[in-house]
Amino acid sequence: MNRLAIEGMAVWRGGRRLVEDLHCDAASGSVTVILGPNGAGKSTLLQMLAGVLPGSHAHASWMGRHLGAYLRREWADVVSWQGPAAYADFGLRVDQRLHLAAGMSTGGEAERMLRELDVSGLMTRPLAQLSSGERQRVEVAAAMLRQTPVLLLDEPTAHLDLRHQAACLRLMRQQADVGGRVVLVVLHDVAQAAAVADQVVLLYGDGRSETGPVEAMMVPKRLQALYGTPMRAVEGVGLLPDFRRMA
Amino acid sequence: MRPARPAVALLLLLVLTAGVLVVAASMGQSWINPFHPADATSAAIYWQLRLPRVLTAFAVGGLLSVAGAGFQVMLQNPLAEPYVLGVAGSAAAGAVGCAALFPNVAWAMPAGAFVGASLGIGIVGLFASLGPVRLLLAGVVLAAFWAAVLALLLSLLPARELGRAFGWMLGDLSASPLSPTLLLVVLGISVLGGLAVSTSLDRLLLGEKQARALGIPVRRLHLGLLLGASAMTAVAVTAAGTIGFVGLVIPHMMRMLIGPMHRLLIPAAALAGGVLLVTADTAARTVVAPAELPVGVLTAMIGVPVFLALLVQRR
Repeated sequence: MNRLAIEGMAVWRGGRRLVEDLHCDAASGSVTVILGPNGAGKSTLLQMLAGVLPGSHAHASWMGRHLGAYLRREWADVVSWQGPAAYADFGLRVDQRLHLAAGMSTGGEAERMLRELDVSGLMTRPLAQLSSGERQRVEVAAAMLRQTPVLLLDEPTAHLDLRHQAACLRLMRQQADVGGRVVLVVLHDVAQAAAVADQVVLLYGDGRSETGPVEAMMVPKRLQALYGTPMRAVEGVGLLPDFRRMA
Repeated sequence: MRPARPAVALLLLLVLTAGVLVVAASMGQSWINPFHPADATSAAIYWQLRLPRVLTAFAVGGLLSVAGAGFQVMLQNPLAEPYVLGVAGSAAAGAVGCAALFPNVAWAMPAGAFVGASLGIGIVGLFASLGPVRLLLAGVVLAAFWAAVLALLLSLLPARELGRAFGWMLGDLSASPLSPTLLLVVLGISVLGGLAVSTSLDRLLLGEKQARALGIPVRRLHLGLLLGASAMTAVAVTAAGTIGFVGLVIPHMMRMLIGPMHRLLIPAAALAGGVLLVTADTAARTVVAPAELPVGVLTAMIGVPVFLALLVQRR
């Protein structure tokens, strides 16, 4: 079984050390959810793993080979990364954007994925004319369509309505279960995290981090410490922020 | 307006280009049919004056337009153009400086322009590793610096040289020291070079990080674009002075017509930039013949209405 192994990795941003000595072993067919408050280094961690931050190395290895030993071209065939879409408007259309990421992937599987994410009807629209939710779906589709063994998703459900959030999380789970991919995903919704995760990484933002199975990590005590807000377990629902005790 | 059939648009552009080149070379104070010239003088005027000038205009327009497309994608900024990093200012300062030093030498201004452009590119190149945003800021500030140097030189220039310098700064296709053949070869190499990296350029449209995630060596591509587009600009400026507008607007016009993918955009920009400059230059030398209008004025006067019409039609 292939695995993405993070071994004693540190995450720095703007001269501050956000994470030190992170350990995480993500096997193919599993979903690892990364949780943490704003500014805890979640996106930076994903971008270091994707190899898109110049001049910083992730202490990670794929199939026993250190990330630094891969050529950029080779690593791009290992990892797909979805992150905040920030590009100038030069009139790119949705089909062109998908084509740039994934080539001509028009197989039945790709068609199904595009339908599921409700992107099929957007194909001839310019990206600049999409709503932020539509654009997000295109970005998620672009990452998922690439046939790489590792999938890194940075808040894939941001801007999505409930139906599309569900579709996105379902697809994500399928990528691991059916596709046998390693999925690492940053989420902010603890209910969503509990619903999809096999493994959870908690980044506290002060250097501390914890990795463990979902049952051990998603408990009120840990999440209270993580977010600094009271949590309570609700029967049949899961964990919720506890507003009753706030006042 | 949808860029529905880009290949057809490119083909039409090719036909238009051929038509414009043929007609423009025949136009002048009198119409000359190259295959049945009235006399030997007409034939000489056609083959030795008009045709070289038309080809020069075509190559310079194409170079500026392709360079503009390159700067726009590299800097991720639709407002970028060949002179955005200050190359026009340094070239003009070099040209005027040389004209002051060698007042009666014909090649003084082009040679000075080449030296100035190269110097300007060299200085901007030092900032290339800062990334597009800060590179753009460095370029804009350097452009202000070169404008100041230019103003200083102009204020020191003897009055009779001022007219020549002014004309050069608005574009002058009548005194290119570079042969049209050489210019066309440079244009051809530029287009082929652009086509060779067209997929990488397309992916750069997704932003630096996405491009990197897709395996594009972004830094190397940036440096190549900076050097390539700057070299094209330097050659164009050496041949014809600082002609504005072509490099800013033609790439956008072509994106509207055939889309942003570079495999089609680059050849289309080369053709359309050439056509615009040939048209403008033909108008410049015929409207008030035998006098000539500055070609840079006409590129804007022809190009602005066309561009604005496209802009309105698109949305």
